[in-house]
Amino acid sequence: MTRLLQKIVVAIALRLLHAALVELQLLDCTMAQELQKLPKGMSFAIHTGHKAPALTVRWDGRRLQRVIEAGYAAQCTLRIKALAISFRLFTGQMGLAHAYAQHALTVAGEIANVMRLARLVNRAEAYLFPPFISHRILPELPKLEVSPIRVYARIVFGFLKSTYS
Amino acid sequence: MNPAYFEFQNAVKLLCGQDALERIPDELRHMEAEKPLLLTDAVLLRLGIVKKVHDVMQAEGCVPAALFTDIPVDSSLSVVNRIVAFYREHECDAIVAVGGGSVIDSAKGARLVLSQERDDILSISGMENLHCGRHIPFIVVPTTAGTGSECTGVAVIRNDEQAVKMEFLSPFVEPDVAVLDARMTQRLPARATASTGVDALCHAIEASTCLQSNPLSSAYSMAAIKLISTNLLRATRCGSDIDARLAMSIAATMAGIAFSNSMVGAVHAIGHALGGVCHVPHAEAMGILLPHVLNFNLPVAADGYARILPEMVGWDRAAVIPSSQRGCSLVQAVRELLIQLHECAGIPLRLLEVGVTESQLVRVAETAVNDGALIVNPRAMSVEQIVNVLREAL
Ligand SMILES: [Fe+2]
Repeated sequence: MTRLLQKIVVAIALRLLHAALVELQLLDCTMAQELQKLPKGMSFAIHTGHKAPALTVRWDGRRLQRVIEAGYAAQCTLRIKALAISFRLFTGQMGLAHAYAQHALTVAGEIANVMRLARLVNRAEAYLFPPFISHRILPELPKLEVSPIRVYARIVFGFLKSTYS
Repeated sequence: MNPAYFEFQNAVKLLCGQDALERIPDELRHMEAEKPLLLTDAVLLRLGIVKKVHDVMQAEGCVPAALFTDIPVDSSLSVVNRIVAFYREHECDAIVAVGGGSVIDSAKGARLVLSQERDDILSISGMENLHCGRHIPFIVVPTTAGTGSECTGVAVIRNDEQAVKMEFLSPFVEPDVAVLDARMTQRLPARATASTGVDALCHAIEASTCLQSNPLSSAYSMAAIKLISTNLLRATRCGSDIDARLAMSIAATMAGIAFSNSMVGAVHAIGHALGGVCHVPHAEAMGILLPHVLNFNLPVAADGYARILPEMVGWDRAAVIPSSQRGCSLVQAVRELLIQLHECAGIPLRLLEVGVTESQLVRVAETAVNDGALIVNPRAMSVEQIVNVLREAL
């Protein structure tokens, strides 16, 4: 697969991840509780490789906002070492715990924050991926509180309304 | 099956055995260091252990430029920053750390800050995020046989403000030289010998069964477990047994190399939280938690535990145990060893013995769930599951 195609897939996956986190805050009590535990103003950045897509989000106490400001210094920056690894990660070929175990990530900031982010991402992935993939990449399959179809439907609706930009 | 990908690094030069201490000056000269800072704690100073190191350095023409002894049992970020300022104030050009886990981890933290030319260790927190920076020659002389910190790429340092133990992971944390000399551990009391030895056992078991385990780290783990199972009781019962002492130092170093390359797991995640929240000494927390976490992991880690069993109890004994029961038998063998160590050295087996109360368990669990070691535990753990494990250990 060409690098350009990988970049496109990863960029879409990052947007989808953010959208899922936003929707699951409203639909999934466990996700809402995890988010509420974040300190207000907490920000995470995910970099997926050299000149590759990135996602920065900030918890404002009510909602996980996407930060589009260039050069924003997040409190916790997770850098995936290469786009090829990001592609594996965001297409369900590898879980975050395995990426961590394979030294595929670097972290700037407190490692405790990565654990917080990992729980959020793992839970979102349990909704976004079909069970046979989630089973392979997640440390444990969580009990879903709503139907993934409902989550996807809300995400599509959200994108149509430009809710996540 | 091989892991899909793994990394392995250990660049620490080991000086091990007879007259190892006497070779420190030569190593410093090789690294063009003339004004080493000698780092240690007040207890080791009082016991005369530091004097021994100081004297051999002096005899070989390498006088430490300064001595820093103000390192508490549980080192903290502020202590690390104070060491950095002290080093600069005395214009030192190398660090020689003599002590247990707290001294070595403080020294590692300070060396990292100095090499990155910063003032505050919090400004460089993270994992594999640093460049090599300036080289600060760094020699460690462990006075316990357990932490393995002399050969690891991680420093664990307490954040007093948040009551948590923070991990600083970087290949540039590794010392240049580690010195294993039985004279340094010979006077270690039986209880400390036993508990630090259990810490090493814990490193080896967790390193060989966690998600990051790889063939090289497992080889180190297995060899370490074999040495520990044959020497820990000997070293605990007879501190002057030089052979057992050195074997335990080697085992601790090997277990350290193993977990530096494959991380640990839930025993350490919860143990760090017990240290951060309740000030339970790290090594004692390991002994209390180990059988309970092994039991929790058993449904997914039985095969890994079964592979460890022959190293732990010997091939003859392991061979007659049906393969389906070997995982369970390992947990039992660990329990038996801990009970023997409890009986001969008084290591605690329950959290109540180290002052932990039921009311603290939820806070410990909520802290543990954010510890980096938990991500590679073979079985995922929620706050509730951690509380249950802690209750069993209470
Ligand atoms: Fe340990």
